[in-house]
Amino acid sequence: MTVVAAVLCCALYTYAAGRLRRRGDAWARGRDAVWWLGWAVLVCSVEVPWGTYLPPFTAHTVAHLGAGMVAPLLVVVARPVTLALRTVPVAVRRGLVSLTRARVVRFLVLPPVAAVIDVGGLWLLYRAPLPAGVHHSPLLYPHLFAAGTLFTFSVLALDPLRHRPGLPLRAGTLLVAAAAHAVLAKSLWAAGPPGTAYAAADLRMASQLMYYGGDLVEIALAVVVAHQWYRAEGRALRRVRMLSTVAEGTGDGHDQSAADAAAAHREHGRRTVAGSP
Amino acid sequence: MTEGPPQPHRSRSLVGGLLAGVGVAAFVDEAVFHQLLHWHHFYDRSTTDAGLVSDGFFHAFGWLATVAGLFLYADLRRRNGLLRTAWWSGVCLGLGGFQLYDGTIHHKVLRLHQIRYGVDPAPYDWTWNAIAVLFLAAGVALWLRARRTGDRAHGRPRVRTGAA
Repeated sequence: MTVVAAVLCCALYTYAAGRLRRRGDAWARGRDAVWWLGWAVLVCSVEVPWGTYLPPFTAHTVAHLGAGMVAPLLVVVARPVTLALRTVPVAVRRGLVSLTRARVVRFLVLPPVAAVIDVGGLWLLYRAPLPAGVHHSPLLYPHLFAAGTLFTFSVLALDPLRHRPGLPLRAGTLLVAAAAHAVLAKSLWAAGPPGTAYAAADLRMASQLMYYGGDLVEIALAVVVAHQWYRAEGRALRRVRMLSTVAEGTGDGHDQSAADAAAAHREHGRRTVAGSP
Repeated sequence: MTEGPPQPHRSRSLVGGLLAGVGVAAFVDEAVFHQLLHWHHFYDRSTTDAGLVSDGFFHAFGWLATVAGLFLYADLRRRNGLLRTAWWSGVCLGLGGFQLYDGTIHHKVLRLHQIRYGVDPAPYDWTWNAIAVLFLAAGVALWLRARRTGDRAHGRPRVRTGAA
C-alpha cells in the first residue's frame, strides 16, 4: 500500500517537474531527489520488518523516526504544493488555491496548532491508556507521517500560504516541540507506554534513539529556518549597498543619502527579523 | 567623524556570541560528559519531572542556539559588523550561564543526574560551578571592554557599507 502510494507520488512529481522544465521554468533537480528520498525513507520505515533485527519497541522507534520525522522533512523541502500550483490545469489550481485559503486549513497550519497535533498526538500514543489495538494498527505510521508532514510544513513555511507565520513564531514553536519530544523520549527510558511490557533494555535503547534521532531532524529543521532568515537579511543588505552606491554616484548630498540608506537598512533589518522573510 | 547611533552591530554581536556560547556548553556537556567520559547518566532514578522538562528544554535550546549562533556569525561577517570583543563576551556569558544553571539547578535542585557517579560529587560540583563563574566574570569584563572600543569605533560599519 505504502509502496503504491510512494511510486504514484514520485511519478506525479517527476512528471510535473519535467513539464515545468520543458516549459523553460527552473526547478532544481535536487528537489526531485529529496522528494524520492523522502518517499523511499517512508517505505523503508513502514515496510522493512525492523522487528526481526531489533527488539520490538526499538523497532517501532526506528519506524516512528523515519515515517514521522525524516520522511516529512524531505518531502516538505521538495515544495510539492508550489510545484502543484505551477503545473496543474487552471480549474484544479483554483480548487487548490481555495483549499489553501480555507479556514480549517489556515487553522491547521498555524505552527502551534500543528505542533500540538503532532507532538501532542505522540504524547497520547505513548502516555494515554489507549486500547491495545492502536499500537499495532496499520494506520499508525501513515498517521505519524501525516502529522509529521503537517508540523514540518507549518514550521518551514516553504510553500506559499496566505498568511505566512513570522520567523519568531516558527522558531519558538520548533523549540517547544523539540523540548516536548526530548522530554517524552527521556521519560520512556524509565517507563514504557501504559499497558505494554517491553524489556528495560529495549525501552532504554528506544528512548535514546528517539532522543538523539529527534535532535538530528530538529537541527536540520533549524538550519532550514535559519537559512531563510540569512537569505532575507542578505537581500536587505544588497538593497542598502545598491542604494548607497547610487548615493555616491550622484555626489551631491552624499552624507545625507548614506545616512538615509543606513537608517532604511536598520529599519528593514528590524522588519525582516520580526516578520516573515 | 560621522554622527549616528553608537555601533549598530554591538548588541547583535553579543547575542550571536551568547547563542554560540550556549551551544558550545550544551555540546561539550553532551559529547564529553555523556558520550566520551560516561560520567553523566542519561537518566537517574532520582530525576524529578521538573528536571525532565528543564532538561528537554535546554537540550533542544542548545542545538537550536548553535544553529542560530552560526548563522548570526555568518551574517555579521558578511556585513563587516562583527565586534569581536562583544561576540567573545557573549560566548563567555552564554557558556558560563548555561554551565552554572546546569551545575546548580539541574544537578543539585532538580537532581537530573550527578556530574560523576561512584565518587564524592562535592569537589566536582565546586570545580564545575567555579569554572562557570569564571566564564561569567570574563564575559562581563569583555562586555565592558566592548562598550569602550565600540564607542571609539562607532560609525565604522557605515563607511564600509558605502565603500563596498
